[in-house]
Amino acid sequence: MTENMSKQIKFRVQRYDPEQGSEPHLQEFTVPAERGMTVLEGLIYIKENIDSSLTFRTSCRMAICGSCGILINNYPHLACHTQIEELGADTLTIKPLPNMSIIKDLVVDLTPLFDFHKAIEPYIIRRDKEEMENPSAEFAQKHEALQAFLQFTYCVKCGICVSACPTSASDRLFLGPQALAQCYRYCADTRDEGEQERTRLIDADHGIWNCHLAGACSESCPKGLDPALAIQLLKRRLVSGAIGLGKKQEPSAVVLPPAETKEKLPFPEFTVKQAK
Amino acid sequence: MRKTHLWFLQLISGALIAVLLGIHMGLMHLDDILIILGIDAVEPTSWDSMISRAMQVTWVALYIALLIVALYHALYGLRGVIIELTSSAAAKRAVTWIIIAFGLTAFIAGTYVPIALLSS
Repeated sequence: MTENMSKQIKFRVQRYDPEQGSEPHLQEFTVPAERGMTVLEGLIYIKENIDSSLTFRTSCRMAICGSCGILINNYPHLACHTQIEELGADTLTIKPLPNMSIIKDLVVDLTPLFDFHKAIEPYIIRRDKEEMENPSAEFAQKHEALQAFLQFTYCVKCGICVSACPTSASDRLFLGPQALAQCYRYCADTRDEGEQERTRLIDADHGIWNCHLAGACSESCPKGLDPALAIQLLKRRLVSGAIGLGKKQEPSAVVLPPAETKEKLPFPEFTVKQAK
Repeated sequence: MRKTHLWFLQLISGALIAVLLGIHMGLMHLDDILIILGIDAVEPTSWDSMISRAMQVTWVALYIALLIVALYHALYGLRGVIIELTSSAAAKRAVTWIIIAFGLTAFIAGTYVPIALLSS
């Protein structure tokens, strides 16, 4: 596809409206695609110019909100993060994410995803409640300690990992890679002391030990996270704790900010001189 | 017992199966190779050899150990597969107890003959 040249791309979009009582079926649309155009822009083109009843989720259009997860040619993607050209196909089959119930067309019910996410208590838990309620200063954390879980803080909760997970496909009660990776993210955080509370939930039926390590979550994550690694690291923490091996993680201490701070670097001069 | 302990036992039993089954398979089917190494198993699959092994405490202990780890590994794995497809708590309890009962029955049936032979 040369620059500024438009190519006709066939979008075969799954339609389903439970209020109409119809079965899910594919509907074809032809979209003039230009270089750099994303699948989301194609869907927006259909909605604005061909069929305004087409339903899909979208918000930021820059892969940070995680709203537009869909199945494109049988592979889960963020529609805003996938250019039509990179798929190298003249026909795109677009379906809602699997392993979730469909609300309408490409919109799936993400309630279970967020329920599992909330269940693992995705926030810093401390035993010193007084400090939590009325913080006196920051919790100190070394750079290396942050690196241990940093990548998992980039999760946008799009649900693509869950839709790719074979265990989530067969076990609707399975916590799923998203929640388990976030569980590791908080358990590995040196500021946190809530591992015991979270362990009660994940160390049970439909919990962490149901992960088959297929690795589909890591392969499909549009943000490049590795939830399968997080799950393996979490398994290691559990086994080490159960058999009494491994280092105990000491919670970060509260550290008052330094009384004296270094002088700030001077603001760089503008490269383009401003008009006076 | 936490599920982590049960899963850890699953890993340990898997490793033990590899060792114990390795001894059994090596003795039964690789006797030609064992002769090269200086170990003469003398027709290990014959009736006399089998009865002779059944009279020795070491072999009986080895086979009972293999039975225990194989039963645990197989039945805990089977329970995991069934539980994955089950959402009802009552069904899960039933599956667990059926598997425990089956495991105990298989263990008793599997140990009765060698122990009877040993004590005869």
